[in-house]
Amino acid sequence: MNLSIKGLKAEIEGKQILKGLDLEIRAGEVHAIMGPNGSGKSTLAHVLAGREGYTVTGGEVTLDGVSLVDLEPEERAALGLFLAFQYPVELPGVNNTHFLKEALNAQRKARGEAELDAVAFMKLVRDKMQLVSMKPELLKRPVNAGFSGGEKKRNEILQMALLEPRLAILDETDSGLDIDALRTVSEGVNALRSPERSIVLVTHYQRLLDYIEPDFVHVLADGRIVRSGDKTLAKELEQRGYAWLTGKDEAA
Amino acid sequence: MNTGTVASELTQLLHQGQQLQANAPAWQHALREQGAAAVAGQPLPGRREESWRYTPLRFLEETDYRLFTEDSFEALQPEDIEGLLIDGLAGDRLVFVNGRLAPALCRLGPDSREIVVAALGGGLGEVPTTLREQLGGVAAGQHVLGALNSALMTDGALVHVPAGVHLDRPLEILHVAVGLDEPLACHPRHLLVLGENAQAQIVERYCTLGESTYFNNVGVEVALGNGSELLHARLQEESPNAQHLSDLQVRLDAHSRYRLVQPSLGGAWSRCDVRVTFAGEQAEAELDGLLLARDRQLNDVHLDVRHAVPRCTSRERFKGVLDGKGRVVFDGRILVAQDAQQTDAQLSNDNLMLSRSAEVDTKPQLEIFADDVKCSHGTTVGELDSTMLFYLQSRGIPRGRAVQMLCQGFAQEVLDNLPGEPLQQHVAKILAQRLAETTHAADLQA
Repeated sequence: MNLSIKGLKAEIEGKQILKGLDLEIRAGEVHAIMGPNGSGKSTLAHVLAGREGYTVTGGEVTLDGVSLVDLEPEERAALGLFLAFQYPVELPGVNNTHFLKEALNAQRKARGEAELDAVAFMKLVRDKMQLVSMKPELLKRPVNAGFSGGEKKRNEILQMALLEPRLAILDETDSGLDIDALRTVSEGVNALRSPERSIVLVTHYQRLLDYIEPDFVHVLADGRIVRSGDKTLAKELEQRGYAWLTGKDEAA
Repeated sequence: MNTGTVASELTQLLHQGQQLQANAPAWQHALREQGAAAVAGQPLPGRREESWRYTPLRFLEETDYRLFTEDSFEALQPEDIEGLLIDGLAGDRLVFVNGRLAPALCRLGPDSREIVVAALGGGLGEVPTTLREQLGGVAAGQHVLGALNSALMTDGALVHVPAGVHLDRPLEILHVAVGLDEPLACHPRHLLVLGENAQAQIVERYCTLGESTYFNNVGVEVALGNGSELLHARLQEESPNAQHLSDLQVRLDAHSRYRLVQPSLGGAWSRCDVRVTFAGEQAEAELDGLLLARDRQLNDVHLDVRHAVPRCTSRERFKGVLDGKGRVVFDGRILVAQDAQQTDAQLSNDNLMLSRSAEVDTKPQLEIFADDVKCSHGTTVGELDSTMLFYLQSRGIPRGRAVQMLCQGFAQEVLDNLPGEPLQQHVAKILAQRLAETTHAADLQA
C-alpha cells in the first residue's frame, strides 16, 4: 500500500487549513504526524477519510494510484483506509455487534467478497477482542454509548483489528487515556503492525511514541510539513517544543 | 369547506349501517343508538376545531366508502395470511378480515380456556353478560368518529381475563384488510377487561394483503381491575393507501399497570386518540409510540391522560421519524386534577426529520390543578447528526444504509419496550423495510 499526498490544499467553511502538504507513505511504515494545536493534523486525518465539509482545493491524494479525492468515505474504507477517531462517536440505539457486522460485511461486499454469517462473525469478533482486552458486555451495548474514554478507544482499535485496513490513521488515540489504557491500546496497535499495513499516528505529544515506535516523524505547522526525520525528532520536540520549527510561541 | 356535504358523508355511512344496526343483537341496541344519535346531523370536524386542525378528514369527502356488511368473510385460507404472521409469536390468535371474524383463520388453543374470549358479532358463541355490560362503559368523551364506531361496530374481540389469572403467552388480535373493488369502511370494536390481579399481554395488529384503499375506524376499550397488569402492543401496519383511526380508551383501577407500545408504521392517514383515566390510586401507565411518516404520509397521536386521583404515575414517550413530505402530529395532554396529589407524569415527544419538506406539529400540554406533583414535558425536533453519519460511512457503511441504522437506533428505545423478541424483531424488520423504500433517505443532504 502506498499513500501519496502531493501539494494538498484543503479548507473548512472557506478557511484554508492545509496549504500544500506533501507526504509519501509506503507499505508497512509507521509515520507519526506531530505539530502544535491548530496546525492541521486532525484536518489532514478527516480530509483523508473523506469527511463532508472538508473541501480539497488543490493537490492530489492517491492510494496505490487511485485518487481518493472524489470518493465517498465508505468507498475509501472499502479500499482499506481506516480512521480511528479522536472522539469516537456515540450511536444511541445502534447495537455495537450489529454495527461491527454491518461495517465488516459492507466492506466485504464492496470488495466482492462473501459476507460473514452471524456465527463466523461472532467467532472472529471474540478473537479480535482479546487483542484489546475489551469487556464482552460492551458488544451488547449501543456503540460507544456510556463507554469510558478507554473503552471507546479500545472499541476503535477493535474495529481496526476487525476491518484489517491497509492504511490506518489514528487521530490523537492517546488523548484521554490513562497509562494502563494507553499501554493496552498501544499493544493492540503494535500487534496489528505488518509489512502490508501502514499506520499514521496523529499526535500532539511524544508519549504515544514511547509505546508505538514510528519509522518516520513529521512536524506539521500551518498546513505544511516543515520537518521530517526519524524517531529522534520526536525526542527533540519533547525537549524543545515546536516553536523553533514554527517560528511561533505555542500557547501550552 | 362545505360542511353540508361533509355532514352527509357521515350520515351516508350511518345510513348504510341501518340494516346492520337492526340485525344486531338486542343487548347492543342502546350503545348503537347512543352512537347514532351523537353522529346524526353532525358535520365532520373541520380545520376550525383545534383537535382536527392538523388532521384533516378530507379523505371522507373524497372517497365513497362502502360499509362492509357481509356476515363473515370466509374466502381466505390459513395459507393466505401466513406471510403476515410473526415468527415465534406463540399464543392464541383471533383473526378478523375486513373487520369480520374469520373463524377458519383463528387459533384458539389451551390458553384461551383460562380466559373468556367472545366476538362482538357472535362468531364465537354467546357473549357473556359480564362483557355485555362493560361494552361502552369505558369510552367517554369520544369524538364524532368514535361515536360512529359505536353506531356501526361490526365485529371485534371481547376479552375477559378473570381475577388472578396470568396469561403467559400473548393473545393476538390480527386484522387483515383484503382489497375489494371499492373502498371499504370497517368499524372494529374491542373490549379488554382484566379482573383483579390478572396479568395479560395482548397484541393488536392491523395488516393488509395488497395495497388497497380502506378506512379502519377502530374503537378499543380497556378496563383494568385492581392490581392487574396489561402489556398492550398495537402495531399499525396498514396499507400505504389506507386511513386508520383508533380511539383507545383505558381505565385503571387502583394499583393496576398499563403498558402500551404502539408502533404506527403504515397508512396514508393515521390517527390514534388515547385516553387514559386513573380511577384508583397508585396505578401506573406507560405509553410508548413510534410514528413513521414517509413521503405524504400523515401520522397523528392525541393523548389525553387524566390523573383524577392521587399517587398515580404516567410516562408518555412518542418518537416521530419523518421523510419526504411526511407529517407528524403530536398532541399530548395531561390533566392533573386538584385531588391528584403526588402525581408523577413525564411526557416527551422527539422527532427526527430526514427531509426539509417534512412537518411536525407538536403540542405537549400539562394542565395541573394539584400542588404536590412531579410533572415534566419535553419536545425535540432534529435532523440526523452528520458526525454520526460520517462515523458509520468511515467504517464502510453506505450512506443510505447508515441513515437507516441511525433511524432504527432512534426508534430502538421504543421498540425495546415491545414484549418479547419475536415482536421486537418483527417491528424492526417492517421499520427497516419501510425506511429502505423511502427514496429520500439515500440522497438526504447533511
